[in-house]
Amino acid sequence: MSKNGVVLRAEGLKKRFPSGDRVLEVLQGVDLELRAGESLSIRGESGCGKTTLLHLIAGLEPRDEGRLFWRDQAVETWSRSRLAGERARFIGMIFQAFYLIPEIDARANVLLAARMLGRPKADDRERVEGLLKRVGLEERGHHLPARLSGGERQRVAIARALLNRPAVILADEPTGNLDETTGDAILDLLLELCGEEGASLVLVTHNPLHARRTDRRAVLAHGGLHFD
Amino acid sequence: MSWYLYLALRQLFPAGKRFPFITLVSVAGVMLGVAVLIIVLGVMNGFGEEIRRKVVDTQGHLRVESGQILYRYQEVIAELEQRPEVVAAVPYAAGMVMVQHANRPAFPLVQGIDPAAEQGVMPLDDFLIYGRPEDLDDDSVFLSVFLARSLGVIPGGEVEIYSPLLLERLRQDEILLPRSVRVAGLFETGWHQIDENTVITTLRLMQDLYGLGDGVHGIKVRLRDRDDPDTVVAALNRELEPPLRAISWLDANRDFLFILQLEKNVLFFLLLFIVLVSAFAITSSLLITVVRKTREIGLLGALGARPWQVGQCFCLQGLFIGICGTSLGFAFGFLALHFRNDIIQTFARLTQSEAALVRFYQFSVLPAETDPRDLFLIAAASLVISTLAGLIPAWRAARLDPTEALRSE
Repeated sequence: MSKNGVVLRAEGLKKRFPSGDRVLEVLQGVDLELRAGESLSIRGESGCGKTTLLHLIAGLEPRDEGRLFWRDQAVETWSRSRLAGERARFIGMIFQAFYLIPEIDARANVLLAARMLGRPKADDRERVEGLLKRVGLEERGHHLPARLSGGERQRVAIARALLNRPAVILADEPTGNLDETTGDAILDLLLELCGEEGASLVLVTHNPLHARRTDRRAVLAHGGLHFD
Repeated sequence: MSWYLYLALRQLFPAGKRFPFITLVSVAGVMLGVAVLIIVLGVMNGFGEEIRRKVVDTQGHLRVESGQILYRYQEVIAELEQRPEVVAAVPYAAGMVMVQHANRPAFPLVQGIDPAAEQGVMPLDDFLIYGRPEDLDDDSVFLSVFLARSLGVIPGGEVEIYSPLLLERLRQDEILLPRSVRVAGLFETGWHQIDENTVITTLRLMQDLYGLGDGVHGIKVRLRDRDDPDTVVAALNRELEPPLRAISWLDANRDFLFILQLEKNVLFFLLLFIVLVSAFAITSSLLITVVRKTREIGLLGALGARPWQVGQCFCLQGLFIGICGTSLGFAFGFLALHFRNDIIQTFARLTQSEAALVRFYQFSVLPAETDPRDLFLIAAASLVISTLAGLIPAWRAARLDPTEALRSE
């Protein structure tokens, strides 16, 4: 963490995609700072580049221009392999479609995040049990994803995202596939857990009620972030 | 356990789910290829081993010959018997004759032996199905079973032997009558080449038939089983005075053994194609898996997986399919080899080809012998091919862009 508590900083992020015979500049210089434990919601029209911005922040997609800092370290200097390793420690990702591995049970899905960093230790297994209990699935850890409801699957995904104690959680429409009541419950859980873990949260959502519950709010439009 | 190893195992053998059909088909392909290789090479080795045993039992491990009639053979035998690796050395005389019974002629190979000493090289006791070794004298012969059958003679009956010496004497305007001998016994070695057309006589009788006097054609030598015939032959050839020379059974049957080895190698190469075809099945099934799991591959990238680790996950699946298929192939192959005679007899009965099997394959039971080197080669080839089959899907998976994968429908 930097001296002023900033864990994530993006400067002038630009991203272009070819579209037919012209080039579409989806992000035209996005600046962003996120402090430790802070939550930020991003809204915007479909196709405005919200998911692309999350992928750029996560280092999953290369930027055309701009700089990205994780805990004051410029990620562009890292090799692809180091970036992957740092990502496993620094960022936890939650997706609209949950993305659980269907062949392994809920407990193993959560533990997979720790496996990415090497052989899971006893501490990791204890933490998995703790997180499963915290998300209300302590009795369902041995169930395969196919036997879980949508809300339960997203709870597993939240536990997985938090397992390695990442500094930043990137949630891409985490309630998009859920009914209103379940969605509200998932957001409550996500905000509570980020608060407990001290993790910063970037929440991409279409729901203005959900967006209002974060510390800061922004709208992505015309290739730039506009803060309230 | 690394995550890619763990995930590879789980994708092939999911917890709480049935064995995936696609995995089952891939494993079955490798299993069949490996099993067929083990069975066929086992039987080929069995034929080779059986031939070696029959040749050694009937010809000895090596022969000492001079290319001429050997008269002072007792001295050579005494020298040979002083060597620690020599179990027995016996004289022999061999050649073609015409045998006739009730106007039925045959042209068998005659082996003249010393019945008392011969037991050291050829287990005559084991081969005789009628008569005893001591029944053989200078007025009697032992006939191989198929020869006796074709002549229509039974033990106690008489046959006439015409030797090449008769022709020799005819040229000198002498008439030599054929030798009339009694059939004192019948033998069967189990090797059709010998059982079809062989007569065993005393050495004395053969010497008379071929006009050898006190001479013989050579000496058959049996070695201790642990000794290598080629090594002993090389040592003997350094010591024996020309024109005497030693020939191992391997040298005497080199062409036949070469054909046998060539057949085995060609069969290995051809049957390996079954494993190769199953490797294509592995590749296609894993490629389908890569397409089906595109978004999960994207997720792995998002969780911090490196591309080579994602590739490993699929390459290892090829290896695991290879391990399962090879293990099951070994089990199935050994099981089939264990029950090979029951299987072959059932098959022969169903196709009414029992007689043909004996006639063409020389043996009444199907021999089998597994060579550890063959087993190692089969296992290594199968595992390498299966692992290579996983490389293309692994490469595809490793090259997937996580963001594209996560966006895929």
